[in-house]
Amino acid sequence: MDAILNPLYTAVSWVLVTFHDLLAFTNNKDLQWSVGIIALVILIRIILIPLFVKQIKSQRALTALAPHMKEIQKKYKDDRQKQSEEMMKLYREHKTNPLASCFPILAQAPIFFALFWVLNSISQNQGRGLMKGEYLISAREANFFGAPLSGTFLGSSDATTKIVTVILIIFMSATTFTTQRQLMVKGMPKMDSSNNIMLQQQKVMLYLFPVIFAVTGVNFPIGVLIYWSTTNLWTWGQQYYVIKRNPTPGSPAYEELQKKRAAKDGAGENPNQTDGTTIVEEQQKGQRKQPKKKKKKR
Amino acid sequence: MKQILLLPILGYRKFISPAFAPRCKYYPSCSTYAELSVREFGVKGVAMALWRVARCNPFSHGGVDYPSQKSISVIRERQMS
Repeated sequence: MDAILNPLYTAVSWVLVTFHDLLAFTNNKDLQWSVGIIALVILIRIILIPLFVKQIKSQRALTALAPHMKEIQKKYKDDRQKQSEEMMKLYREHKTNPLASCFPILAQAPIFFALFWVLNSISQNQGRGLMKGEYLISAREANFFGAPLSGTFLGSSDATTKIVTVILIIFMSATTFTTQRQLMVKGMPKMDSSNNIMLQQQKVMLYLFPVIFAVTGVNFPIGVLIYWSTTNLWTWGQQYYVIKRNPTPGSPAYEELQKKRAAKDGAGENPNQTDGTTIVEEQQKGQRKQPKKKKKKR
Repeated sequence: MKQILLLPILGYRKFISPAFAPRCKYYPSCSTYAELSVREFGVKGVAMALWRVARCNPFSHGGVDYPSQKSISVIRERQMS
């Protein structure tokens, strides 16, 4: 296990140490280490940007496939299995799959765990990766708004640490909640989410996640909480961009954008708009203005 | 044994998956595939599922991919109920 993890510890601690050195001129330990953690997130997300762009391109290509999709939905409207099968075949034929696959998440998970262990070993005064010697001593003393980076809510009796962790956990829960809600209300392609059990579960999770964070977050070092909050913020921003500028065809955000564009072009029917909206209308009528009706209709 | 192997898969479907947008490039999704392949093939099904997740990457075009002929009708029956 260590054979897999050691390179990760080295990579994560390398980023932290490098930013610490780069910011040496500030002569501010707190800043040097905190920025390193935030930079870690930004670096990973920048590396993942090409994948993000690729996905957006495929999503744009979907607009051209809208008539085909409509046909499939009409033809197999009583058979969800066949409908999904045909939809996947269509994507494959045109070599454009709008779905992201789990890779972006799977790629980030090991980094997250490695950071967790690196920060944990700081609090135990143990070297891990490049985080040893003077770096370890310096990182041990680094604070974030007065609380040590490796401090956890449960592991510390210090009031400042408790307050900082609680604020970060609240921030983490709030960003997760808004990101998920934004996606559910505006960004979901209605044709893909074909079963209402899943939609119900999603709703439950929307409220359960903040609770889960509160329970697990008390064990996380402040550094990990900073990492997580930054990740959430980035994800939210990225998703906001997609929903505003490149919404998935068939989602409420897509219709909004089409309406806006139609209004800009002056009055008159935009051919694209009819394509986009009819998909939705045919599946569930009158659903457009009130996303809440979703669960009853499906 | 199968029950133990199924536990993390079902747990993922219930608690983790709903947090993200649908993202699988295949039909059925990787988690459904994993559940069905483990139910049918046991430990071999785990290997099949891991291979499926590996195939579901940014460079894949996805598609329709069932673990077995039998699983097609399993999904069908689930939808009927």
